[in-house]
Amino acid sequence: MNLLQRWKFFLVPCSLCLVPVMAPAHHSFSMFDRDTEMALTGSVERWAFNNPHAWLYINVENDAGEIIEWGFEGGAPPQLVRQGITGRTFNPGDEVTIMFSPLADGRPGGAMCWVKLPDDSYVRPADGGCGSRDPESIERWETWLEQGITSSKEVAAQ
Amino acid sequence: MLKNYLRPLVSCALPALLAVSANAQIVGFTGQVLEIEPPDWEFATSDEHYRYLLDKADGGTQHTWDTLPRWDGLWDTAGNNHMDAFIEGGLRGGTVKKGVLTPAYEAAYIERWRQQQEEGQVRYDRLTHCEPAGLPRWLLEPYNHEFINMPHQSYFINDFSNAIRRIYINQEHTNLAEMNGSHSWHGDTVGFWDDNKLITHTKYVMPADFTRWSPMTSNQLELVETWELREFDDFERLVVQVTMYDSHALVKPLNFVYAFRRSEGLEEIGYRVQHWECEQSSNSYLDEDGLTNFYLPGEPGYKDPRATSLFADLPGQTADPYNDPALDSGD
Repeated sequence: MNLLQRWKFFLVPCSLCLVPVMAPAHHSFSMFDRDTEMALTGSVERWAFNNPHAWLYINVENDAGEIIEWGFEGGAPPQLVRQGITGRTFNPGDEVTIMFSPLADGRPGGAMCWVKLPDDSYVRPADGGCGSRDPESIERWETWLEQGITSSKEVAAQ
Repeated sequence: MLKNYLRPLVSCALPALLAVSANAQIVGFTGQVLEIEPPDWEFATSDEHYRYLLDKADGGTQHTWDTLPRWDGLWDTAGNNHMDAFIEGGLRGGTVKKGVLTPAYEAAYIERWRQQQEEGQVRYDRLTHCEPAGLPRWLLEPYNHEFINMPHQSYFINDFSNAIRRIYINQEHTNLAEMNGSHSWHGDTVGFWDDNKLITHTKYVMPADFTRWSPMTSNQLELVETWELREFDDFERLVVQVTMYDSHALVKPLNFVYAFRRSEGLEEIGYRVQHWECEQSSNSYLDEDGLTNFYLPGEPGYKDPRATSLFADLPGQTADPYNDPALDSGD
């Protein structure tokens, strides 16, 4: 299956699951581009396990070798602890990979969908800002990351 | 059938999300369809409705500590039907029902619904600034709820900033102008018990909105609610039948049903509700384009969610000692 076929495979079930869903969680998610998936790897700066939303901040080196701090919004603690995600899940210095819906204005931030931890396990601290909740997204992104892809827009353009 | 239809939708959403069926009935992650139980007839005012129910219950049941229904513990929202009143044709591509809202409120809602449908999100909502959920949103707020009943008063608590509704049992409404001076997010609620049902009457509520994808409500919103703990085939629910009156926003009173289920998983793992507010932890704001947006680290206006207090020169002033490198141990 080529990448385009994989992308179509994703779009059909995902559209069934996600388009009509309205998340009641807190504020409007209008700042996120929920139609785009991106992934980044970086070092945890801070895990702010707070209501009304938890935030994960990571440092990412860009193409120019500069360290940029990215911020990612997630769900609320009572929502996350049910999944086993706690205030200790991310620790400063941990290298993690995050898949997210980016901020639409291009600033370094987004809505977390899932995070790959240093032990290669995955957690999903997502809230309504994440536009991609399909179960296949991890497998899809494992392939994409191996190919150096960092945005679903690159795949869609192929 | 509807329940089965919803399963694949629910299974791919987080528990806090709502799922939507083909006929616009919204159910919570429980999958249970809730039925509206309308009042015996359409009352002209909420006062008339509440008095009717009080008379029907012969003045109500005077519970003691021993006979009082116990609803304490942590609860989650578990479905509601409120969008059925406003949208036809399903939530994906559906349209605003005509003649439900007054012309001014209908026009405002059509624009809000257009944003939801065409742009995927309402551009901005007041929760950006962490205003309390208030009523009627309190009834479907996804954060945990607690319900503490006492013979003379009930406390209905939402984990969202620990917003508390107080229900004054067997009492009359306060004189708002004399005692409080203005409307409030939860208004003034009185109630009585009819056996194991709690009937409440709420007035003097701040103008707000159900949710960002629902219509606005006015300062004339009044609610008559009937709360009852019920057993279902799968598990028990705290069911709330609600009639909303709003002479500014609604052409006629509307009936809704909401529900809560026990958060057994949370209690088992030891989760406890803590007081919180957004001044410490939220960086959302209304941007110049009219969107809800975020301040990021390094930007003017950004608030470190676990920074030090005003007295940063003193030892022990960080709000986040677990991650304070100056400490030997966060534990």
